[in-house]
Amino acid sequence: MQNQEFIRSHVLVIGSGGAGVRAAIEASGSGTCVLLSRTIVGKGGCTIMAEGGFNAVMNEADNVSDHFADTMKGGAYLNDPELVRVLTEEAPARINDLIAWGAVFDVTDSCTLCQRPFGGQCFPRTCYAGDRTGHEMMITLMERLSQTSVKVYHEISVFDLILSQGRVIGAFGLDRKGKLYVFIADATVIATGGGTRVYDISTNSTSGTGDGYAMAWRAGAELIDMEQVQFHPTGAVYPWDARGRLVTEAVRGEGGVLKNSLGERFMEKYDPDRMELSTRDVVARACATEIQEGRGTPHGGVWLDVSHLPAKQIEERLPVMLEQFLKYGVDIRTEPMEVAPTAHHIMGGLRIDPFCQTTLPGLYACGEAAGGVHGANRLGGNALAETQVFGKRAGSMAGTEPEHEINSNQEQVDSAKMMLEGYLTGDVSPDMVKFDLQRIMWHGAGIFRTKKMLEETRIALDALSRKKLKAVDPSGFISCCTTRNMIDTARLIVTGALLREESRGAHVRTDVIQDWDNQSSPFGHTILTRTGATIERRKA
Amino acid sequence: MMNITVTISRFNPDTDEEPRMESWTVEMEEGARVLHVLDKIHTLDPTLAYRSSCHAGQCGSCAVRVNGEPALACTKEASDGMVIEPLNLPVIKDLMVDLVPGINAIPRFHSSECGTLPTLEDVSKIKPLRDCIECLSCVSVCPAMRVTDFLGPTSMRSQMRIALDPREPGNRIREAITQGLFTCTSCNRCWRVCPKNIETPGKAIEKLREIANREGLTLPRHQEVAELVRTTGRSVESGKHTFLDLVDEVIEPYGEVKREVGFFCGCMFNARLPERAMDMLEVMRHAGIRVIIPKTQVCCGSPLIRTGQTSFIDELKDKNIRAFQERGITTVMTMCAGCGATLKNDYDTPFEVKDVSEILSETGLPPLTKVPITATYHDPCHLKNGQQITREPREILVTAVDKFVEMPAYCCGSGGGVRSGMPDEAAALGELRRAEINKTGADVVVTICPFCEYHIQEHSDRPVKNLMTVLVEALGKKPTEL
Ligand SMILES: Cc1cc2nc3c(=O)[nH]c(=O)nc-3n(C[C@H](O)[C@H](O)[C@H](O)COP(=O)(O)OP(=O)(O)OC[C@H]3O[C@@H](n4cnc5c(N)ncnc54)[C@H](O)[C@@H]3O)c2cc1C
Ligand code: SF4
Ligand code: SF4
Ligand code: FES
Repeated sequence: MQNQEFIRSHVLVIGSGGAGVRAAIEASGSGTCVLLSRTIVGKGGCTIMAEGGFNAVMNEADNVSDHFADTMKGGAYLNDPELVRVLTEEAPARINDLIAWGAVFDVTDSCTLCQRPFGGQCFPRTCYAGDRTGHEMMITLMERLSQTSVKVYHEISVFDLILSQGRVIGAFGLDRKGKLYVFIADATVIATGGGTRVYDISTNSTSGTGDGYAMAWRAGAELIDMEQVQFHPTGAVYPWDARGRLVTEAVRGEGGVLKNSLGERFMEKYDPDRMELSTRDVVARACATEIQEGRGTPHGGVWLDVSHLPAKQIEERLPVMLEQFLKYGVDIRTEPMEVAPTAHHIMGGLRIDPFCQTTLPGLYACGEAAGGVHGANRLGGNALAETQVFGKRAGSMAGTEPEHEINSNQEQVDSAKMMLEGYLTGDVSPDMVKFDLQRIMWHGAGIFRTKKMLEETRIALDALSRKKLKAVDPSGFISCCTTRNMIDTARLIVTGALLREESRGAHVRTDVIQDWDNQSSPFGHTILTRTGATIERRKA
Repeated sequence: MMNITVTISRFNPDTDEEPRMESWTVEMEEGARVLHVLDKIHTLDPTLAYRSSCHAGQCGSCAVRVNGEPALACTKEASDGMVIEPLNLPVIKDLMVDLVPGINAIPRFHSSECGTLPTLEDVSKIKPLRDCIECLSCVSVCPAMRVTDFLGPTSMRSQMRIALDPREPGNRIREAITQGLFTCTSCNRCWRVCPKNIETPGKAIEKLREIANREGLTLPRHQEVAELVRTTGRSVESGKHTFLDLVDEVIEPYGEVKREVGFFCGCMFNARLPERAMDMLEVMRHAGIRVIIPKTQVCCGSPLIRTGQTSFIDELKDKNIRAFQERGITTVMTMCAGCGATLKNDYDTPFEVKDVSEILSETGLPPLTKVPITATYHDPCHLKNGQQITREPREILVTAVDKFVEMPAYCCGSGGGVRSGMPDEAAALGELRRAEINKTGADVVVTICPFCEYHIQEHSDRPVKNLMTVLVEALGKKPTEL
């Protein structure tokens, strides 16, 4: 095993998406801060890919209580109301931070922010920068970060948290060559984003492998609602290798219509009031049903059409979509797109309080890694807002953590090394295990679920977890560790899905007949810890 | 499914002296991208190093060279026989290059705590410069960066974005100048390789040079040129003869008239190399093309636009457009690559503009006898990148000489006011051309642009000839001497 490196800081932030960078900017005000990422800092994660926009009440005709109500309703009342209150109250201030830092959002000719309608909202509340909103946020955040003292570590993958006497005191990381890094900190912030790469068809970046969930769960933190996986209704289906790539909700926000192979605008059957701008869970199920019942397109999707809109509107408001489809030979100004559901977002995650404290001392979480904000279904535009609102809170709270006398836990260092070295004598390629895992999850824990399917899936995942992953040399350690995290994340999803014997938001159990609706459901959060898993029961 | 064979550059600096090329054949689905091919190979050889994150052209992690040209692996369609190499930046391993220093170098907006929104007008000006995904493709090809301390195209893009933003507290034009604003040769290579099609030279560098001009910071040599244009209508002082003085207004072909074009001559051919333009007329006479040469034409304004001195540019444009429009000319032919790029990209003309090589390849060449030489071709940047013309000159040259050999296309260093304003840089780039020319083993270097010809001749051990001169020789005639 090569030499290891020790890095001590006051705050350690894991992940450089919108949440992580926001947290680091905030934490840098109260001592040394280390920000690390599996990718080049600023390039990884899903924030940079986010297209559609950022929800915030910015117009006098709108109000925070409506944003709150829309979010709770969209989330099937599984959201933690306190977190939703914080989200909706603070989102406007966080967008103003970005503007002060140089963000170039679209503006109207009367010098206010442009806002577009997004699904499940009673007011057009989604602020945007064309259809590259997340990219705009990330470059702005990186510009702001460059003016702080945050110490940045590029291309370090964290694989486990370090504990000492029940407290999280840092994390283990690996560089590209497989060298071990021991990061020690008074406070550790998990901002590793989501994990829908555990599915065969996913919108997420290569880092959407659920590492944060898996590491925190192994360290003993509580996770909630992991079964709540959002399938976005519109992912690309062609070319095959790029299937799952997101076709932003802004396409429907701008007036795009969904049609089946018979040319029917099928949302009339599923949600005649809100049509294409119904919540994502509803639209995704509608698309899946149309395809399943044989009314799909040649590549197994449905049609999404904007060709009735003026070409100029498409060019100005949806430039990224236009460019991407042109690359694949489809001119969306004149032809419809083919789309199908794709695994998009994990609503569940680390249980946090409004200050982003997890159930483990010393550990904070924000962004998609945290759970509770979106309940059982996330509204488009609320995740970007979440990264900023809770990123700031996590960074500032982590900064207030008192200095601790910390001795790194040598026993844990040794066992980490042992685990890594074990991979050198493994026998299964992690790429192959990932490949199997993604298919198992897509078929066994997808949009429509039953107890039987989920149990079979659990057995299949258990079998995968017993395989001995192989690294040909230490540069392969990261891939083994990531695969291990993906397996754990997948198991958390399946465990939650088995526990929740109801259909709620994005989670649909076709084998359960229920006589309650979202508001009268007897169930609360599913709670998963290393030592057990339960579902909360609400008092009647 | 289809089989794709790819050649990939492999290099591990810890163990290898130099990169080696490795071939793989993999089965792929239709429409697969380069990145999917790499992913497939990774399942067979997990030590292959490359980057990706978003898979959607949005994060700028995955740029590589595909058949020599920078491209995003995640959006570029895979093709059979392709060669994949790292960007021309320091290689970490295989296809992975060191991007961090280049990204850290990009100047950043200074946050103000004032949250006022920019106006719609500000936003629409800033937006075209805001799409940059920091892939550094442009940085990997910039000739100025090879020989000077220039901070690079995307840094200038960022400086212009900052300059356009009312929220930025300071004026940073002096900073941009020390970062190398005047070292850019206007070669436009950065624009052509940019996956986001950001026109950095025209939309950022020239615009920053305009700001510098307004603050009196234009280089003295460039100011002299502007003064010359203002007083004489020409950017080059006339020597013994000027082309426009020597020729008639209408040049009739020897035989039947197949086509009629107006000729935009440009200052270099007019005053410094009129012989080349005379050679062109001889070729046109043989090719059946009537050439009309309005004598009221003036400098196209390129030397002013490239150096940010645009205060009287509209007058030049008006004069030139009128000179051709008045004579009812519908096709204007240029021979100078710089003038051609300017008329095509910076003017709004009521006539079509074509390079001489386009005209000849459309109309057809007269019968030629191959000249017994081995020739190589230097792509003028304003032809290759400014007008995207590379095929026609090669096709013409191949029919006119015994043997043609390729040479990698780099900027010679003469453009963008660099030859006059930054002579050391221009010379250093010229020397890089010398090395490449020598590698080809050619007897003659052929080009079309007068700036390239003039400059490369100073940095070449072989003669540099205009394509028209070679054609005159292939017609069995003697090139013009004045
Ligand atoms: C294509 C797409 C479009 C979207 N569009 C919108 C939208 O329009 N509006 C909206 O509100 N939401 C949108 N979302 C959702 C939203 O983008 C994400 O939920 C949000 O950006 C997550 O931010 P984050 O900071 O939590 O994580 P991310 O931005 O995903 O960042 C995670 C970071 O953690 C790093 N990381 C992960 N694992 C490790 C590890 N083991 N070690 C070290 N580092 C690690 C990653 O490299 C990355 O830097 C979209 C999502 C996708 C995928
Ligand atoms: S135009 Fe040429 S010299 Fe100028 S920045 Fe672009 S690549 Fe560099
Ligand atoms: S300007 Fe274009 S080529 Fe250069 S870094 Fe930005 S996106 Fe890449
Ligand atoms: S992987 Fe992000 S640009 Fe290609």
